Amino acid sequence: MKIVRNLVIAAFALLAAGILVFGQRAGADRPKDVVVVSYWEKWTGNEAEQMKQIVTDFNRTVGKEKGIFVEYLSMSNVNQKTLVATAAGVPPDIAGLWDTQVAQFAAINALEPLDELASAHGIGPGYYKPVYWGACQYQNILWALVSTPAAVALHYNKKIFTESAETLRAAGLDPGRPPRTLEELDRYAKALDKEGADGRIERAGYLPMEPGWFLVHTPVWFGGQLFDEEGQRFTIDDPANVRAYTWVQSYSKKLGKDSMTEFRSGMGGFNSAQNPFLVGTVVMEQQGPWMANYIDNLAPKMSRAAFPKEREKGMRVEDRRRNYEWAVAPFPSAAEGGEDATYTGFDVLVIPRGAAHREEAFEFIAYVNRQDVMEKLCSLHCKNSPLAKVSERFLREHPNPYIDVFEKLASSPNARPVPPVPIWPEVNEEMNNTIQRIYLLEAEPEAALKESQARLTEKWDRFRALQSARQGEAAARGGRQ
Amino acid sequence: MSVTTREDATLPGAARAAGPRPASYQSRLKTERLMTHLGLMLIAVGFLLPFLWMVSTSLKTLDKTMAFPPTFIPDPAVPMNYWTVLNSPKIDFPLFTRNTLIIALLTIIGTVASSSVVAYGFAKVRFRGRGFLFALLLSTMMIPFPVTMVSLFSIFRWLGDHTPIQWLGTFKPLWVPAFFGSAFNIFLLRQFFLTIPEELSEAARIDGCSDWGIFRRIVLPLSVPALTVVALFTFLGTWNDFLGPLVYLQRPEQYTLALGLQAFQSQHGGTEWHLLMAASVLVILPVIVLFFLAQKTFIQGIATTGMK
Amino acid sequence: MAGMRGAEGRNLGKGLAFLSPWLMGFLVFTLLPVGLSFYYSLCDYSLLQPPLYVGAANYRDLMADPVFWKALKNTFWYALMALPAGMLVSLGLALLLNAPIGGQAIYRTIIFLPSLVPTVASAMLWLWLFNAKLGLINTLLGFVGIEGPGWLTTPEWAMPALALMSLWGVGHTVVIYLAGLQDVPRELYEAAELDGVGPVSRLMNVTLPMLSPVIFFNLVMAIIGTLQVFSIPFIMTGGGPARATYFFTMYLYDNAFTYLKMGYASAMAWIQLLIILCLTGIAFWSSKRWVHYQGT
Repeated sequence: MKIVRNLVIAAFALLAAGILVFGQRAGADRPKDVVVVSYWEKWTGNEAEQMKQIVTDFNRTVGKEKGIFVEYLSMSNVNQKTLVATAAGVPPDIAGLWDTQVAQFAAINALEPLDELASAHGIGPGYYKPVYWGACQYQNILWALVSTPAAVALHYNKKIFTESAETLRAAGLDPGRPPRTLEELDRYAKALDKEGADGRIERAGYLPMEPGWFLVHTPVWFGGQLFDEEGQRFTIDDPANVRAYTWVQSYSKKLGKDSMTEFRSGMGGFNSAQNPFLVGTVVMEQQGPWMANYIDNLAPKMSRAAFPKEREKGMRVEDRRRNYEWAVAPFPSAAEGGEDATYTGFDVLVIPRGAAHREEAFEFIAYVNRQDVMEKLCSLHCKNSPLAKVSERFLREHPNPYIDVFEKLASSPNARPVPPVPIWPEVNEEMNNTIQRIYLLEAEPEAALKESQARLTEKWDRFRALQSARQGEAAARGGRQ
Repeated sequence: MSVTTREDATLPGAARAAGPRPASYQSRLKTERLMTHLGLMLIAVGFLLPFLWMVSTSLKTLDKTMAFPPTFIPDPAVPMNYWTVLNSPKIDFPLFTRNTLIIALLTIIGTVASSSVVAYGFAKVRFRGRGFLFALLLSTMMIPFPVTMVSLFSIFRWLGDHTPIQWLGTFKPLWVPAFFGSAFNIFLLRQFFLTIPEELSEAARIDGCSDWGIFRRIVLPLSVPALTVVALFTFLGTWNDFLGPLVYLQRPEQYTLALGLQAFQSQHGGTEWHLLMAASVLVILPVIVLFFLAQKTFIQGIATTGMK
Repeated sequence: MAGMRGAEGRNLGKGLAFLSPWLMGFLVFTLLPVGLSFYYSLCDYSLLQPPLYVGAANYRDLMADPVFWKALKNTFWYALMALPAGMLVSLGLALLLNAPIGGQAIYRTIIFLPSLVPTVASAMLWLWLFNAKLGLINTLLGFVGIEGPGWLTTPEWAMPALALMSLWGVGHTVVIYLAGLQDVPRELYEAAELDGVGPVSRLMNVTLPMLSPVIFFNLVMAIIGTLQVFSIPFIMTGGGPARATYFFTMYLYDNAFTYLKMGYASAMAWIQLLIILCLTGIAFWSSKRWVHYQGT
């Protein structure tokens, strides 16, 4: 037995030694003699594959010329991991974050400013649609560039509209077009609500909580804002916002809180064939341009209503739309002069503070922002383009036949990005809590918003006090030197 | 004191001395033994089941893991899962294994070397203040890691900025401190060194040997079993360490197995349980094998820590 | 130093020389970080910007922080479940494993093995075992006609699930108890038998008192360990559902490495240290009344 034992020990020791000496080393597949740019990105699955295509294109062309190799890495919780790595002094060269991190990270000194690099590559204010350019800046410094943008619009089920033509007409509504004002939306929604034999809701014309991803931005369609950038103060309990959330709450009141909750709990997940919009449980929804891709994957029949997909190639957009059971229109606004209002969230590329290869990293970021590359990426991801100039080809061949609606919305003066406040994570959490309480009928909008205003103002004042104390110290230190 | 091999087959001395036992006593004893056996068997099965379930799942296909009601025997059995795990793009198993081994090796060398030296000082050199310093040593074992976690992170960052040596972004924060002794192992070795008779050291001293010489030539060779315990425990500790790598390893290419295993855990549902279990088995295997090779040493070491 | 005779002085030098690795390490990796951590607890510090002294603000904020209290409550709730259960189970198992029957070597091995399993692997395994629909536990419960709860997906059962899981790893403690049991002098048992003392009474009056130093040691170790629980819930539940399994150290970690509020996290760490010292102190004080040391 002793011999067996010693043999096993020897075998393991050999294995361990073998792994140590000959084992996989980090970066084994990297090419030598080039600058390796590490790129941490949030995307997985299809979206990751699509971005990796762009990365490969870069490595084979501009990268090869300039001796740069970009290494793409999918990271979960990319924003938190980037922040800690930056704090540790070993950040990636490029991080693919969300627009919500721009103000937050910039304010705590976690990003490299990009103004010089951008202008050196000919990227300036006129290059982007205004709403995106503004949101890439914080306190007049450029901190990020867009990787893929988005805008939000009204998606509606044309087929159900047609099927419910009589009901709609009886309510004085036109089944051949989407609602154009918010008041009309409410009437369409009510007419399209359907009850089952047991008196329970079977179908909702519209439900703000479904999918409810943009509830915190509802004020955009009421001419309101949560944060006043000029005055640098919160305006949570402004009348426009109260109106906005009273409107959200009206849907719970209309359906009854318990039946609404029960109705929602039975709904399928977003990324499944039981997606409520796809199965018709909900007739109208607020969504983004990527929806076309998801519908194509999960409920392909909805996008092949009249003829096979291949025939769409080369068709005019108006003709293509006959093939779709669903359509897109601007989400109606309740504010005067507030047409074509939309919320524009987007994905960004940033260079964390202390990145080892700033200039090389920006070469890739600039490449992604080249018109042809950006249009390729946005087409693959099924999103609109952030650039001011858009090619006709992009509009014609885009997988989403309604992309021009999104383009128009993204260029509209009423397009609004996420409020540029550095404590956004706390704002988001507070607002989500409050909004949930409002639509679960646990609190009245005005009172609840007032509370949030008080709480967030306190947090904001604290944050600003610390920041200015820091600036004071830094100035004093600078003065002494 | 070898705990695993000692079989207590003796009856209490008093009963033996009392002569032939009555039948009722015999049967009562038998029942007691039977009950104990049953109890232990039940408990042992309970302790073993998770392992068996883990192996069973690791050999299933993904849809079979989702089958309801769950079955125990995988059908079909897919040992390929293990190959898939080793080649998985999600978790670079070979790389993480190598990383873990490097850290483990360095930590073991550092711990054994430094802890033995310090333990000798505590055990064999009489000097003023020794008691105080030893109490200090023991008290450091009570300091929770979080207290030093944040400031160590900050110190390592400062060192990286102000010296030519980078700390964060390398393995150093994990193994360098091992070269400065670990309280637990110093304590263990000190207890052991105390059992080495003074006469040996005295004899060597008379021959003109320095303390360092005594340490190197007499105490160390006699301490191989204890040093093995230290090496074993250190290996276990490193292989198992999660919080340390989580805090100090920022770049994915440096991850250890403990960190990397998490990659199979999906945030949004759709965890590939069969692969996750296979990967877990691979991570557990070296530890189990090590245990069976060095049972006595393990048990000895743990028993010693409990005493005194 | 001036008053010491030559030999003493030499010994001091030698002693310190041997201790030097630890002394240096103590200064750099223990004393300095502990001191720095106290300073940070009085600052607002994100590592991306220099620390800013704010006095006791962090501590004040912690007292008013509902999440802090929830995390503290969770940790104590877990300790209340896991500590007594763990002590009873490990002691009971040790007694069983000490019985004079055959096959003890195998039983002892089986019970010890799980305590060796790396934390991550253990967490993944039990995550799978506790799966409400497909997990082994609910399946087995189903066999006896009980519908198992949602375990880690429900706020009520998540913490008990973690406490239950901790029992799988008692092997380590059992071994220490076994060693202690074998140290109990045979004469004491014999004397008790002669006096006609029954098994239960033998347990209470001979075994337990003799074991009390070991019990005490395990108790102190368990207190220190339980209050620092992190990896298992971090991996298994991330603190959910609805913060039901959000442990103290997890909130500390989040403050430090998710929100980059290093000062706040340091304050939490000091409070944790204080609690541990308090509880250990209580254990030591109470030990005078129930721990009997054999005449060593």
